[in-house]
Amino acid sequence: MKLECEIEKIKNGILQVEKITGKNLTLPVLSSILFIASGKSLKLRATNLSLGVEIEIPAKIEKEGIIAISGTTLAGVFSNIFQNENIKLESEDGNLLIKTKKNRIKLKGQTHDDFPTIPTVDGKTFEIESKKLVDGIKSVYYSSSPSDIKPEISSVYIYSNEDNLVFVSTDSFRLAEKKIKMKKVEELPGILIPFKNVSEILRIFGEIQDNIRVCFNKNQISFSSEGVYLTSRVIDGVFPDYRQIIPKEFGVEAVVLKQDLLNALRISNIFSDKFNQITLSIKPKEKVFELSSQNNDVGENKTYLDAAIKGKDILLGFNYKYFLDCFQSINTDSISIRLNQSSKPIVISGSSDNSFTYLIMPMNR
Amino acid sequence: MDTKQLWKNCLVEIEGGISKANFSTWFKNTHILKEETGIVYVGVPNEFVRDWLKNKYHKLITKTIADAYENMRAVEYIITKTEASKQEISPMNEIYINKELPLKDLYINPDDNLNPRYRFDSFIVGPFNELAYAASQAIIENPGTKYNPFFVYGGTGLGKTHLIQAIGNAIKDKHPNKKVHYLTLEKFATDFINSLQNNKANSFKEKYRKYDLLIIDDIQFIGKMEKIQEELFHTFNTFYENNKQIIFSSDKHPNYIPELADRLKSRFAAGMIVDVSEPEYESRLAILKVKLRELSIDLEQEIIEYVAETIQGNIRELEGSLNIIVCQYRLKNKPLSVSEVKNLIKNNIRPKKNVAIKDVVKIVSDYYSLEESLVYEKTRRKEIVKARQVVMYLLREDFNVSYPLIGQKLGGKDHTTVIHSYLKIKADLKNNPQLLQELEQIRIMFK
Repeated sequence: MKLECEIEKIKNGILQVEKITGKNLTLPVLSSILFIASGKSLKLRATNLSLGVEIEIPAKIEKEGIIAISGTTLAGVFSNIFQNENIKLESEDGNLLIKTKKNRIKLKGQTHDDFPTIPTVDGKTFEIESKKLVDGIKSVYYSSSPSDIKPEISSVYIYSNEDNLVFVSTDSFRLAEKKIKMKKVEELPGILIPFKNVSEILRIFGEIQDNIRVCFNKNQISFSSEGVYLTSRVIDGVFPDYRQIIPKEFGVEAVVLKQDLLNALRISNIFSDKFNQITLSIKPKEKVFELSSQNNDVGENKTYLDAAIKGKDILLGFNYKYFLDCFQSINTDSISIRLNQSSKPIVISGSSDNSFTYLIMPMNR
Repeated sequence: MDTKQLWKNCLVEIEGGISKANFSTWFKNTHILKEETGIVYVGVPNEFVRDWLKNKYHKLITKTIADAYENMRAVEYIITKTEASKQEISPMNEIYINKELPLKDLYINPDDNLNPRYRFDSFIVGPFNELAYAASQAIIENPGTKYNPFFVYGGTGLGKTHLIQAIGNAIKDKHPNKKVHYLTLEKFATDFINSLQNNKANSFKEKYRKYDLLIIDDIQFIGKMEKIQEELFHTFNTFYENNKQIIFSSDKHPNYIPELADRLKSRFAAGMIVDVSEPEYESRLAILKVKLRELSIDLEQEIIEYVAETIQGNIRELEGSLNIIVCQYRLKNKPLSVSEVKNLIKNNIRPKKNVAIKDVVKIVSDYYSLEESLVYEKTRRKEIVKARQVVMYLLREDFNVSYPLIGQKLGGKDHTTVIHSYLKIKADLKNNPQLLQELEQIRIMFK
């Protein structure tokens, strides 16, 4: 293998795929990045057998070839090369020689015969703007459960509904749902992408502007765009039927300014107990929207917010952390909070924006 | 068709053909889902595995299955849930040799020095040690009163240490408030010398006298340590007077411990002196089986019998041979044949020594404090005759020397004389424990 390419491009590529190399796996070669030089491009491939990624970089190939190099070493090397010229890569006796104007580096290669292929997915395909995909995932993925015990909820659930693509995730204490409007939606029966893989998808496609081609079947999903191919395993499971827990009618409705609420929550945070509980009290007749929290060691606080309220009196407790999480997904200035009774979930959405819905289970102790 | 068995066999084949890393990465959680009209469906956990099996191992898998199952026409791969297939790889395929070994030394309890591994659960009782076992059970019931002191002797590797430590552990369990202490004579001696150096002889006395049960191992080395004999004598007296149990082990009967003070000899004799002899065939078999159960390994009956048959004598050697076999078994991961086992332990079988007859005569005459040359002479002095007969008996019994040769070498005796001597000693052994003792002592000198 012998080739020449731009430092910036290969550097980006390596830093992207390195995160995906397998750690702690029984097959040592999986911790490396596979370089495939053929035609007019250099492909960088990495996989941890749950997620596989291939990034293609334009390069001047003098001699085709394949070599596998430890991912951590490469990342270490390339994150410290700061030149803006071309770089020359050459394989020699199973080692990789890297030449820039100022560096001469020799990296030990690994046998690449055992490096697996990355599955190509055949199944239904559709295209989506990268921004929409990233927005959809980003709006909900923080709500999924980090534990592996129930794989179906430690994932992001994607399905199509009319002309929307719906993203949902929950950890059974709160739930986030985001609907993304699409011009044309392929029938998508519901796919569960593992939480761990979702954050990698965000990282890799977060910077891409083009359309993304999504291809899926019941076992695997792939995302491809210019020069990037990523494929993830899909969880074989059934996502809970969450729609039935979203209340249709509400006894209490309040609209508050997002910034006010945020400030109030931050103050309450200081006084919250170790369960992060804060108490919400709404009294429409007296026009009171009050957040209170108390901690025996610190003290207590009550914050009153200006709010447009209608309905009956209510008093309930919840975990403020869950509340804070959803602010990143709400783009409107005011927030609508809807409730029924103190034992039923709180429903939060941006006022006049029904694309995002967020549910918090109350905590009454 | 048993698809489970088929796949198991195939996996064993495949495992041999590829590296361990590859095997565990790609073949873990795979199984045969079904077989229909010659097409074998292999269930795999995900697309990555399916892709790679198809691209890289398809040939190998197809060939392996075809070898084992002739009706096979094609192999297909299907992605299935992983849970269902988790048990598919049998524990056989794990490599036991990589298992972490327990840190034995850490188990020793610093308070009492006892190794909790030595228990009666794993102690095999047979005719060779039943007396010692029965006595120890009585001691556990009533420490300090029944058999005090308790003196166990027997050859090396016959389970003395196991027995006395098991007594300690059992007493600790049964009487939790009793203070038990185990030590070797060497430790006792070092402690004593240190206390003399530091002028703390009193604290030494205190240290040992506070225990309720003292177990001293390998007491036979006390012979030349006069001062320590004296100290032990006093310690012993304190224990005895306070009805506290004291247990000794030795590889010789107290009467044969050289230079042992008479007052100690008589005190040892006051309690219970039992011997542990070498296990006979059935006991060896039982010991092997218990050891195998501890290691959770199954060996063929034939192999166990062979080992019990060939490795005679001490239990430690028996264990050693078994360890070699078990290690090999885990390494190869398949049952061993008897001939392989024979090959493995051939070095452990103590060869029937070809001892020069002269050496035997020398050792025996030394033992009876006779002039070596007297044995060869034609004399009928009683003590010489006895020694000569013992020589003949040993040569015949232990070294398989032919009767005529023995006769010829021992001053031109007729082979019938030799036969007579051999049979006489053999008969005497049955009703003369003194003679048995002597022979054992002599045999130890050959080793």
